[in-house]
Amino acid sequence: MIQISDDIIIKTLARVLVPFIQLYALYVIMHGHHSPGGGFQGGVILGASLVLLVITHGLKGTQKRISEKSVAIFSSLGVLIYAGIGVLCLVLLGNFLDYSKLAILLSVPLAQARSLGILGVEIGVGLAVMAVMFSIFYNIATGGKQSEEDNN
Amino acid sequence: MEVTLLIEAMDTSFGLLEDARKKAVELLDSAVKLTSETRGVEENKIQAILKGAQETKLEFLNVIATFLILFGFWVLLSGKYDFFHLTLGVICSLLVAFLNHDLLFANARVGDAKVIFQRFIAYIPWLLYQIVSSNIHVALVALSKNKPIDPRIIRFKTKLESDISWVTMANSITLTPGTITMDIKDGEFFVHALDKKVADDLNAGEMEDRVAHVFMEADHIYVQDVLDVAPIFGELRKGL
Repeated sequence: MIQISDDIIIKTLARVLVPFIQLYALYVIMHGHHSPGGGFQGGVILGASLVLLVITHGLKGTQKRISEKSVAIFSSLGVLIYAGIGVLCLVLLGNFLDYSKLAILLSVPLAQARSLGILGVEIGVGLAVMAVMFSIFYNIATGGKQSEEDNN
Repeated sequence: MEVTLLIEAMDTSFGLLEDARKKAVELLDSAVKLTSETRGVEENKIQAILKGAQETKLEFLNVIATFLILFGFWVLLSGKYDFFHLTLGVICSLLVAFLNHDLLFANARVGDAKVIFQRFIAYIPWLLYQIVSSNIHVALVALSKNKPIDPRIIRFKTKLESDISWVTMANSITLTPGTITMDIKDGEFFVHALDKKVADDLNAGEMEDRVAHVFMEADHIYVQDVLDVAPIFGELRKGL
């Protein structure tokens, strides 16, 4: 069971840092095709920021931000984006995840089409990893039981 | 006989008139009550709308401020200034700002953010100087032969008011060698100090005063404020 920290230092620093952590996670996802990082790493950082919020501000406060239902939707949406881009390439008579075929749809040069395709896949992976990370933590924290009422 | 009939008729007519008057007064009363009630309800409604508008405005300002700070952070991180990456930055910063607009500026007190920022920047050199000087002191204590270590836990009630100033104070204490903030409970600091000198330095309260000044919570006049006031006093004296 998660006990909300009553330490004012941890609480305040967490609330100040969480937006920056989340932006850093998005930076890692968005620059994954130029520099180290990518969907998985960024998704983990994004999930960690939510876990930090749960530890410091409690489950209920975090659920106002991102409900369990939307976590489930995000985890499947991420996989859908990933697989969707792959299947789109198949439909355009290429191999699975053959981004160069997307050049016709996006009307950009081949290299840029590859870059954009990878970016799309990274976003999908990031969403899925964030949602799954958070839902694993959520399920461990509540012991698999729905006890939203007695958590505050 | 006729007279008594007449009197009875008059009595009943008077009674009827009285009843009618009472009814009219009651009606008027209830009408006034109703209008005042509806007015109260309407006033409450208008007040609620105004309050809601104010809150929305505040929320909007928070989103904008958070967005600007986050976008600056993004530009620092990204290092790519082409249109595509800046657009991504705007989208990501807006997303995070919308999700977290209540986090960065929660429990914000009334105060000029620009002044607080300037004062905070001015506070850092002083803190660095404190860190260096007490670093030398702790090194001397550690290296001296008889090791005059005299650990103690001091507690003091702070005059700081907001959580962010508490945290700044606590982290400043911890950053300064020789002292560590153990806990803050109900505005009371519990600090572990290495020896008497660092404890006395902390008890002198200069750091607290400076943090209070940074977050505009100072309830006494500062040297620089006095300097600002001095020319006015000079003029006054001339006039006398």
